[in-house]
Amino acid sequence: MTDDTTTTGPAAAPAPRDTAPLLRIEGMIKDFPGNRALDEVSLDVHSGEVVAVVGHNGSGKSTLVKILAGVYTSDGGEVELSSRDGMDTELHIIHQDLGLANELTAVENLGITHYQGAASFAPFDRKKERAKARQLIGRFGEPFDVDVPISRLAPAQRSIIGIARALDGWQHPRNVLILDEPTEALHATEVRVLFDAVKKLAADGAGVIFISHRLDEVLDIADRVVVLRDGRKVADESRSSLDHDRLVSYVTGIPVGEAEHGENARVHGEVVLEITGLTGAILEDVDLRVSAGEVVGVAGVLGSGRETLPAMIFGSIDADVDSFTLAGKPYLKRSPGESIRRGAAFVPGDRAKLGSVRLMTARENVTLPELKTLTNSLGGISLGKEREHAETLIRTYDVKPPRSEQTFAQFSGGNQQKIVFAKWLRNKPRLLLLEEPTQGVDIGAKQAIYDAIDNAAEGGAAVLVCSSEAKELVRLCDRVLVLREGRIAAELAGDELTETRLVIEGYGLKSEDAP
Amino acid sequence: MKKTESISIAQEAPETSGSARPGGLRKALSFSNISAIYIFIVLFAVFAIITPKTFLTAGTWLVLLDAQSITVLAAIAVLIPLVNGVFNLAIGAEVGFAVILVAVLQTKLQLPWGIAIPLTILVGALIGIVSGLIITKGKIDSFIATLGMSSILLAGLAFLSENRQIIGLEDGFRLFATGGLPLDPNNPNFKLTNPVFIMLLVAVVVWYVLERTPIGRRMYAAGYNPDGARLSGVNVGRLQVASLVAGGIIASLAGVLLASRINAGDPTVGPGLLLPALTAVFLGSTQFKGGRFNVWGTVISVYVLAVGIKGLQLLGAQNWVSDLFNGVALLAAVGLSRYERTARRGSAIRRATPRFGRSKTPTE
Repeated sequence: MTDDTTTTGPAAAPAPRDTAPLLRIEGMIKDFPGNRALDEVSLDVHSGEVVAVVGHNGSGKSTLVKILAGVYTSDGGEVELSSRDGMDTELHIIHQDLGLANELTAVENLGITHYQGAASFAPFDRKKERAKARQLIGRFGEPFDVDVPISRLAPAQRSIIGIARALDGWQHPRNVLILDEPTEALHATEVRVLFDAVKKLAADGAGVIFISHRLDEVLDIADRVVVLRDGRKVADESRSSLDHDRLVSYVTGIPVGEAEHGENARVHGEVVLEITGLTGAILEDVDLRVSAGEVVGVAGVLGSGRETLPAMIFGSIDADVDSFTLAGKPYLKRSPGESIRRGAAFVPGDRAKLGSVRLMTARENVTLPELKTLTNSLGGISLGKEREHAETLIRTYDVKPPRSEQTFAQFSGGNQQKIVFAKWLRNKPRLLLLEEPTQGVDIGAKQAIYDAIDNAAEGGAAVLVCSSEAKELVRLCDRVLVLREGRIAAELAGDELTETRLVIEGYGLKSEDAP
Repeated sequence: MKKTESISIAQEAPETSGSARPGGLRKALSFSNISAIYIFIVLFAVFAIITPKTFLTAGTWLVLLDAQSITVLAAIAVLIPLVNGVFNLAIGAEVGFAVILVAVLQTKLQLPWGIAIPLTILVGALIGIVSGLIITKGKIDSFIATLGMSSILLAGLAFLSENRQIIGLEDGFRLFATGGLPLDPNNPNFKLTNPVFIMLLVAVVVWYVLERTPIGRRMYAAGYNPDGARLSGVNVGRLQVASLVAGGIIASLAGVLLASRINAGDPTVGPGLLLPALTAVFLGSTQFKGGRFNVWGTVISVYVLAVGIKGLQLLGAQNWVSDLFNGVALLAAVGLSRYERTARRGSAIRRATPRFGRSKTPTE
């Protein structure tokens, strides 16, 4: 068992339970290079119980689900499913993206798992399949058209198909159902429908694991709440002993009522970036202003629009604006190439897909955005000059191993991120756009990256940091904008800029502390 | 628990050879780095022993060098788009179309060859622009787009040639491909021909552009990771169009040389170049650059394949042996490069995680 000071041990669930849990996870460990994603996490689920697993991005929630789903192999620990009266407990998982084929109808999506083996070649009984689909869906409230491609259905209806499929073919009710962020795409009323269905299942004897970062929903549905932070289980408590504030303090790791804020006293220069009325994707009418030497944070839960904001400013995702000024000049038709020429730099959150060219060397990655200064009179790249330049950068940013000719993919996560920073900071950008700057990065590299950001700001760069980590924003920023459902819900600075406030504003929680 | 390996099966981490690193020479000479050269040596030895009279003559080699120089040009025309992540399956049809076009311009339109050649090359560039726009603006996968282009070009080729050989070309045109630098004053046929020089010139230029200029660097980046390259300010679409234009120009140059060498517009000669060209590019990617498509690997590979086929033919093999040989070599080359990547991936992961145990035992 994990022994942490905040753990109060498994409390009694309201439903009467059998002695043996349906699912028992013991001492689960998962290591990624330079980073332990799960550190001896234990968890059990009993029949009739809804257990919520909550935590920030990077707390280990999704790693846990992926191990249970067989996507990742664990590096230690045990998973045990109970077996009673010859009935084996099955594990059913509904992933966040549901795994549905959008061009197929509900009937076809539900039929995919039927007819295994030789029966796959038998003719398809349309009537029977349709009746079955209607019956499966009927368990969750209002029926809907099962014969149109599901891409035309509402998100909630698609979720219901996903759930119906996961529940199809159960031989007995005593199975475990895992829902990974199931409410991401749903409206409040649709969440209601889903929760009723989940509660009904539990009442029939199923064990449910509900993964979420929406704390108010968790408090609504769970019998028991397990909190993960930095890969460790920090709480495992019955719902009845929890309230908002306690849950927030478990998630952030800061005791209730304690104030904490960074001490950033930076000198700001002229305004570098000024945007009014930015609208696109989920974002609506966002105003923004960042000055030279200032570090402005953007907070918000997944789906708040935080993820797309920097890409929209950089010009890699389209967005409408009322006005957009970069370094004193209007800049309406944006593109990555033009943004770079105007002195902007963008470190995207997805290092592998967007931040780098994994199969090129560190040297080639570092110099890619700007090669002009490294060419000889023939217009060719001077390889000697380029290597020297790359090696200087690698030393400056303390990349390990310090090999400019090593392929990017062969560096560890933290060192990859240092290379990405070197790539963008080498030409002293006026505007530095950062998205999840320390995601998947070990502690040591994290500190180095924070230092690099501080130095860039000190050198006069305007910095915008979008992060899901409240602690990081408090550490780095002078001022943080909190996005909620595409709009700026709050702006925090000075004494108000605390992790607790960021979490409360981000989730839109009501709190007694909040003014 | 299931133990599914989760790491993406996409391309992974070959180690780029750096000559400045310790052991650079040994690595540069290792089998995995220059396997084609070793295979070349083995093939040479085998055939030299079995059929010394025909195989070891300088004439055989000069003919081979000359004949394959056009395959090399076709392969380079496949290589450039492929560096940008674009397949060009129309390469055979592009060469074939140029063969017919340059002949038709001279016979039906009575144009002098000095005008027919640049016109043909211009048309090659236009074909590249059209393919490029279909792929980038029309958002049609390059595989499908160029397959469609290939079929259209073959139709145009049949229309222009009426499926007949076009003969009666000017003598001056004929010398374009058959002229050259004589090596033996007593034997005028004993010479290094113009296509060999043109091929070398094209190879050097393309090598320089791809590996020594910013535009080449951006092309590789665009091919490896288009989204990532775009965020680094690379105009991926424009480079892809440019690569197809360059490929189209080189392909039509190959077609002109081919028409000149056979002294006729033959509708059958072009399309057969696709397979050897594609095979050479993939086999070439396993050479020198650890998984990166590259010019010199491609050039060497064309000749290794040709030597293999030549040797078998000298042994009395039928014509179909070249199709068989190219097919097997293509599968082997792609399989080999994939295997190399996965093998290296494994060791890269092990290196990155030296301390962590991988045991499955419970930790209680």
